[in-house]
Amino acid sequence: MKAIECRGLCAAYDKRFLEKGEAVISDINFEIKEGSSVAVLGPNGSGKSTLLKALCAMIPYNGTVRVREKDAGTMSRRDIARNIAYMTQLTEIFFSYTVYETVLMGRYVHSKSVFGSSGEEDMKIAEQALKSTGVEELKDRQLSSLSGGELQRVFLARTFAQGSPILMLDEPNNHLDLKVQAELAGYLKDWCGQPEHTLIGVYHDIPLALELADSFILMKDGRMKAMGSREEILDGGLLEETYGFEVRSYLGRIEKLLK
Amino acid sequence: MIFSLVFALAAIILAAGLGSVRVSPSGIMAVLANKLFERPLPEEVTASMVSIIWDIRLPRAVSAFVVGAMLSVSGAVVQALLQNPLASSYTLGVSSGASLGAALVIVNEISIPVIGTLMLPVTGFAFGLGTVLLVIFFSSRLDNNLRNHTIILFGMIVSLFVNGMLTLLSSAYSQHMNRLILWQMGTFAGRRWEHVGILLVICLLGLAAVCVFNRELDLMSFGEEQSQAMGVDAKRSRLILLILSSVLTGAAVCFTGVIGFIDLAAPHAVRRIFGSSHKYVLPMSAVIGGSFMTLADLASRTVLSPQEIPVGAVTALLGAPFFLWVYFGTRRKR
Repeated sequence: MKAIECRGLCAAYDKRFLEKGEAVISDINFEIKEGSSVAVLGPNGSGKSTLLKALCAMIPYNGTVRVREKDAGTMSRRDIARNIAYMTQLTEIFFSYTVYETVLMGRYVHSKSVFGSSGEEDMKIAEQALKSTGVEELKDRQLSSLSGGELQRVFLARTFAQGSPILMLDEPNNHLDLKVQAELAGYLKDWCGQPEHTLIGVYHDIPLALELADSFILMKDGRMKAMGSREEILDGGLLEETYGFEVRSYLGRIEKLLK
Repeated sequence: MIFSLVFALAAIILAAGLGSVRVSPSGIMAVLANKLFERPLPEEVTASMVSIIWDIRLPRAVSAFVVGAMLSVSGAVVQALLQNPLASSYTLGVSSGASLGAALVIVNEISIPVIGTLMLPVTGFAFGLGTVLLVIFFSSRLDNNLRNHTIILFGMIVSLFVNGMLTLLSSAYSQHMNRLILWQMGTFAGRRWEHVGILLVICLLGLAAVCVFNRELDLMSFGEEQSQAMGVDAKRSRLILLILSSVLTGAAVCFTGVIGFIDLAAPHAVRRIFGSSHKYVLPMSAVIGGSFMTLADLASRTVLSPQEIPVGAVTALLGAPFFLWVYFGTRRKR
């Protein structure tokens, strides 16, 4: 099954700009098979985050987006959220909830009762999600008392709790120290172990992307430059072209320093 | 939580009992039993006491409670929706719109026989709600995504504009200025059971409707993007909630005038005590905000008796220290 497919996708944050032809990303075509792990790479402002939002139908777009073979334009927000769990970049928190309350919020799409109280199954899944990102000890803590790394893991747990087969992450290792980054990569790899799970991530950290992903979308100036396997983007200098920068010789230099 | 309910009940009984004629709690209970269940009155309760409690103090205390509850609940909703702890139910221009409506009625000395005394509240309500709709309309025109800061900005601009018209009006008709100012300061004097009935119905319906959205509010307090990612139809929920909270505020304001502070502070105090989850925040804001308003009104009519202090001044004077105590003096417990 195709997890995501898009044809002639153009997107902008305001409908009027889209109508005027001033799209942030344009003419994007690709498909992502169920079970794969895809990294979206590209320089700042190349439209990576915009692409994720368009795939979730969260911003105005033209063209077609299909989520698990269904037209996203005909799906409700709930439908989409049941299929895609999208973790945005960290934002400021104004009202402090406990970690457990926060993770339980991920179960919103599955709530049935009028006042939306959570059932026993929701609680079980939330507990499981807390464990899978190693934050079960923080359960009763307030969000406002957590460090950036802890917060990121709590939000990842909330995203896991949503239970959707497609996971989209926007720079998940922003603000994280190296150890937490490595742990995060571990949680994500575990999650990808299921054959029906599809991971789509925007990463700034190229080594992390290479470690996690089996195929790559390269974005530049709002367009898709290429999509391919690890070998395809590394051979022929596509990666360097996309960033306009000697990516590998830079990473190689750092590796030498570490020896 | 049970403590809060006891506190609320105590506030109402206290408000009914204290004043120039003091009545003991058991006397109040006797009056209630007599009026509600037709039980005979004990000898020490006189007819004038019954009239003071049943016709004057209780409707006043209950309407203060209901108005406090409505303002606090809508304050809690608006704060979560706009992701702004400094926002309140007045941010969207309800109060200035309602004041302008009331001012137009007062200045033109309009009175329509059928609606009678309800002319002022009905016009105030219509203008208050109209102002909010204007704010939402302008914001959505300018910004397709109806973002928080656009709404806040337009709420402020429209409020200031309407306040300007209000000032113009009151200076042009200075003979009515006293009545205008009095209306804006707000009072619960002279409330009757009819008022309580209307307010209570709006309050309970509004509270129930808002509570249906308790999880959406939790999610939306993380921002529109995150709430959508978790499956909330943020635009629709926001529109419904903005209108519900404006109806609550509008109804409260049009019957009593503009009473500040409770709408801002009560939800914060509640979050401090019961946590941010809206399944607690919404009902508890009603209970705490209501109790507090009842006590503030009690203070407003007893402290300098027989003169009355504007209740809006009392809410701020008593509320600010109380708020500080809640904010800095208590740990979170449930």
